[in-house]
Amino acid sequence: MSPVTEDQLIMDRASVSFSGFLAVSELTLRVRKGELRCLIGPNGAGKTTALDLVCGKTRLTAGEIRFEGRPIHHLSEHRIARAGIGRKFQVPSVFRELSVWDNLHIGHSQQPGVLANLIRFRRNIDAEDISRLAELVGLQADLKTQAAHLSHGQTQWLEIALILAQDPALILMDEPTAGMTAQETKKTAQLFDRLRGRHTLVVVEHDMGFVRDIAETITVMHQGKLLAEGTIAQIETNQQVRDAYLGSGGIGHA
Amino acid sequence: MKVPGKTTSQIAIYAAVCIAILLVPLVLDDAFLLNKYARYLVFGMLAVSLSLSWGYAGILNLGQAMTFGLGSYCMAMALKLKTIPVHTGSDGLPDFMVWNNVTELPWFWIPFHSLAFGVAAGILVPVALAALLGWFVFKGRVTGVYAAIITLAAMVVVQLLIIDQQRFTGGFNGITDLAQFEVAGFAFDAYGSSSYYLVAGCLAVTLFLALFITKSKTGLILQAIRDQEDRVRFFGYDVALYKIFVFSVSAGIAGLAGMLYTIVMEFASPTFLGVPLSLSVVIWVAVGGRQSLLGAMLGALVVTGVQGALSESETFLETWTLVMGLLFVLVVLFLPKGLAGAFEKIAARFERTPPGAVAESTAPRSEPIKSGREIEGVS
Repeated sequence: MSPVTEDQLIMDRASVSFSGFLAVSELTLRVRKGELRCLIGPNGAGKTTALDLVCGKTRLTAGEIRFEGRPIHHLSEHRIARAGIGRKFQVPSVFRELSVWDNLHIGHSQQPGVLANLIRFRRNIDAEDISRLAELVGLQADLKTQAAHLSHGQTQWLEIALILAQDPALILMDEPTAGMTAQETKKTAQLFDRLRGRHTLVVVEHDMGFVRDIAETITVMHQGKLLAEGTIAQIETNQQVRDAYLGSGGIGHA
Repeated sequence: MKVPGKTTSQIAIYAAVCIAILLVPLVLDDAFLLNKYARYLVFGMLAVSLSLSWGYAGILNLGQAMTFGLGSYCMAMALKLKTIPVHTGSDGLPDFMVWNNVTELPWFWIPFHSLAFGVAAGILVPVALAALLGWFVFKGRVTGVYAAIITLAAMVVVQLLIIDQQRFTGGFNGITDLAQFEVAGFAFDAYGSSSYYLVAGCLAVTLFLALFITKSKTGLILQAIRDQEDRVRFFGYDVALYKIFVFSVSAGIAGLAGMLYTIVMEFASPTFLGVPLSLSVVIWVAVGGRQSLLGAMLGALVVTGVQGALSESETFLETWTLVMGLLFVLVVLFLPKGLAGAFEKIAARFERTPPGAVAESTAPRSEPIKSGREIEGVS
């Protein structure tokens, strides 16, 4: 990666208050194109809300968010998605009544128009792409399975595959390894390694082992504010960070 | 690539049912019964329209009869003007207008001198109204029971307007004494096989049109919206547009059904936009299975058929509504996916899928990317 790549995502003094409570307060964050950024912090630090702000689920009360040079915080959710931002939710959020195959088709959203999709039939389009993705996340044998019948780890992977089908420039991942076994977590880390460079990733994680495995730069949030930013070594020795995690068993157990 | 596909067998079943319906006049030579069955088929079409919006997109439209009634009135207006001068007063005015001291044909009646305009309006007016209503409801992200209440309220408003504007609409009496529907010199007799074929043909076309929509990617996205609306937005789909689309198509089909209903009933009445009919449609679709177009249609035929038979039999003369209510409760309690769901269950029991496929698709798996060293070990 060249060191001069420009900032793809810029949050500029972004704030949001929920009836007086400042969930995110003057957060400034810059993420370079192709970077894998981890966002950590104790419970209630505002990490998920920060992702919500970027993808349009929650609206800013002050500040600005720019993506590839243009402000996006006033756009509707589907426009933000079309601009190239994908989101994986904390609670795996797939279409439970539909099969894995159908789920992947919906993720494949390069053509979002109503009428354009009216003349597209599921059987013949994007089949290669979709089976390749299913293979990537190990669901190739479950294409016919209804998503509701997948295990928790599989559901997490299905949602990751949906986002890869969408193929956004920037992927926001909220606790992608929650509920995964150690083995599954390790494989997710490998998968993220492969995405590095081709997509920009912002990953919210609690599992410090996982963060250590994948992170380049880590951003620590505390009480809605930016607390520290740096490499894993810098973060682990930062006194402010240690204080923030005090009482929750240290940074490794947050 | 092998894809889960039962489309071919589905098309075959739909075609078989349509052909069976079209063959009925060959074995049945009773004008009264044919007219009755044609009426049931219209209800079947109405059920298909609701199944499309409710079953596939999750939009419970309690006011489906609104668009049905509007279609019916459009057809009635055109057919009424065809009766000049038999059922009209002076100056070619419809009789009820003369009774209400209207001296000049209102501007919005004038284009209905053309039957083609009437037919086009019978579809386009419902579509336009649904699109407008849908714009406000779906752009405003009103969902679930609130959207259902709005559709119901909109229907009641339109019905009150029609009843209130007696001078232009015939009020409570509706529009009666109509001409026969005529295309290129061929008249469709409400009590002949021609009208039956017209209804059955339109039903077959709409059934396949609806099937086509549900099989397209748009149909898939609609099902995703039904499942989890908020998630769909984050893939870049404009959820409101998708909902407006299906809501309008559904309204167009209902409008067509309304026009056919006027043809077989030979009148239009404000009861066609009434709450009882509108709620009946929901019941038909629930009984038939809302996630199956064919199921919904058959549900309408079965329920209206049984209803007709019970209400005409002496034994149940007093209690038929009770019996219907009981049937509905039983279906909702024991067949949540309706008759279609029950049929699918039975079919799945008989149909033996290749053993390999079943084992593959049901065994939970947990290994992701195969990359060398990580394959064995913890499950």
